[in-house]
Amino acid sequence: MMKWIKLAFRNILRNKRRSFVTMIAIGVGFAAISLYYGYIHNVYAELKIAAIQGEGLGHLRINKSGWKEKGKLEPEKYMFSREETEKIIKLVGEEKEIRLVTPQIQLTGMVTNGASSTVFIAQGVIPKDDKAVQGSWGKYFMVNGQKLSDDKQYGVEMAIDLAKYLNFKPGSEGVVMSPTLSGQMNAMDIQVSGVYDTANDMSNDKFMRFNFYFAQSLLNTQSAERMVVLLKDLDDTEKMQTLLLKKLNAAGIDCEIKTWMELSMIYSKIKSYLDTIFMFLFSIVLVIVVMTTVNTMGMTIMERTKEIGTLRALGLKFRGVSLLFALEGAFLGFFGSVVGMIIHAIVWAAIKISPPHYTPPGFSISVPLYVDMVPLMLISLMVSLVLLSMFAAIIPARGAARKNIVDALGHV
Amino acid sequence: MSLIEMQKVTKDYHLGETVVHALRGIDMQIDQKEFVAVWGPSGSGKTTLLNLIGAIDDPTSGELTIAGKNVRLLSDDQKSEHRNETIGFIFQGFNLVPVLSALENVMLPLQIKGASSAEARKQAMMRLEEVGISDLAHNRPAKMSGGQQQRVSIARALVNNPSLVIADEPTANLDSETARMVIDIMRELNEKDGITFIFSTHDQRLLNKVRRLVRLEDGKIVNAVENT
Repeated sequence: MMKWIKLAFRNILRNKRRSFVTMIAIGVGFAAISLYYGYIHNVYAELKIAAIQGEGLGHLRINKSGWKEKGKLEPEKYMFSREETEKIIKLVGEEKEIRLVTPQIQLTGMVTNGASSTVFIAQGVIPKDDKAVQGSWGKYFMVNGQKLSDDKQYGVEMAIDLAKYLNFKPGSEGVVMSPTLSGQMNAMDIQVSGVYDTANDMSNDKFMRFNFYFAQSLLNTQSAERMVVLLKDLDDTEKMQTLLLKKLNAAGIDCEIKTWMELSMIYSKIKSYLDTIFMFLFSIVLVIVVMTTVNTMGMTIMERTKEIGTLRALGLKFRGVSLLFALEGAFLGFFGSVVGMIIHAIVWAAIKISPPHYTPPGFSISVPLYVDMVPLMLISLMVSLVLLSMFAAIIPARGAARKNIVDALGHV
Repeated sequence: MSLIEMQKVTKDYHLGETVVHALRGIDMQIDQKEFVAVWGPSGSGKTTLLNLIGAIDDPTSGELTIAGKNVRLLSDDQKSEHRNETIGFIFQGFNLVPVLSALENVMLPLQIKGASSAEARKQAMMRLEEVGISDLAHNRPAKMSGGQQQRVSIARALVNNPSLVIADEPTANLDSETARMVIDIMRELNEKDGITFIFSTHDQRLLNKVRRLVRLEDGKIVNAVENT
């Protein structure tokens, strides 16, 4: 086998310029795929963190069964009572995979500065637990002023555009109004502790964050809408979903548990969108690689028809000729992929040193563009392109190998 | 039993609607250790006859047996094996692989057969020494003269110890001095190793050195004589 590998290697050096151009074409195609994959790989990782920590979904969310369908009509019935909340915290917290389980509440209402009012959507969280849920994402969650605290339960965080509409600044005071669970309107004084950017135009004009106990007071309830569970390891998500559901059901708590991926509105949609673009790009590059290799090998085979005839006359079998050209195609694919890896590494390093920034659709702030180095993907892509180049070389080689030997020997 | 037996062998070529009868019922037998020249005017069918004997083309009709094997009954792979093991080829244009050295070119038939590199190298070197060109073993064809390339080609044809060597106009591209040297090598190998040579030529010097002359005209043998 080594002799044919050696012969194939020398053959691709025969017409250096043509082989070089082919390898560059494969390399550029490789780099286009690998860089885009590296980019979306980074985006997916960031989106996961954004969903779990940024959106505050945690890894798992526990709601009472039927909350989604009927929770708005009969909120009290579909919320966890104080006893249930404490029971869930105890049962879930027993598992060694759990980092945190915390109650949350979501509410809507009106907020006013005395002169004008507007609607809000608020989330009630326990400040110290929220800090744990945010984890490393917390460094991106910049609050102008003070964050939520247990010391001042009426202190709230307000999204930047909402604060702008109401002319609120940290320290400003106002009133929030919301219907209690029994349907009566309730109003409570607030002080804007801090103003934050949700990084999303759609939510920046309506979001607020309350202390969990303040939100309970506004709704006049001791219940919690949901329990957010934070795991030690993301990979345990599905396993713990099943395990906790069984455990809680066995304890008489009728609940449903959803993963962060099921809950995140943006992760699945963005992933599906970027995956589609990836497949489109991948298909185009594959076609270019195949066409380039077929063209190169076609010309090579045309020039070497007489040589093919000679090899056949010396006793090389049909499949031997195919193998020889397949190896040449594989070399083109291999060296082209190496060129692609070098391009990938250079661009990856340049981006790491000085990342460009861009503003994704719907975002209000620009974010750095990073490209991940994913060794497994690079190797898989190389194997794919080598196999594809082999396949592309075999197509014209089969035709040449089947040619009548006398005709091949007489080829000029 | 003869090495080559041909009975009523014909070969037709179809050029559009025109049928060219390249060979018209050839009956011929060639024994082992013979040194045979096929000659005749251009278009008489010399190359076609050698192609059929070399099992690189199929007769239209008739029976052709080489080394006891009926060529028409062999599959493509079997023919490849048959050529590799039984027949050596010397081409007019040498047909050496340009990216391989002289030594590697000579090793090719053995490597196609599946011999180890060490064994192939040893045998190839012996053959290169035999044709007096071992000092150029590591040169590529582009750095060799026509005569040197043809000697490499002869070494390649012999390296598998074939029963039969076929040479199509082996001296056509050589100057007279080199042609004489190539003829002497072929003759010597025939006498020393008993290898059967059959070749086409117009070269009178070569014709003078053969024992058996087969003259073709219009696809037929018109004269087959023993040279004295």
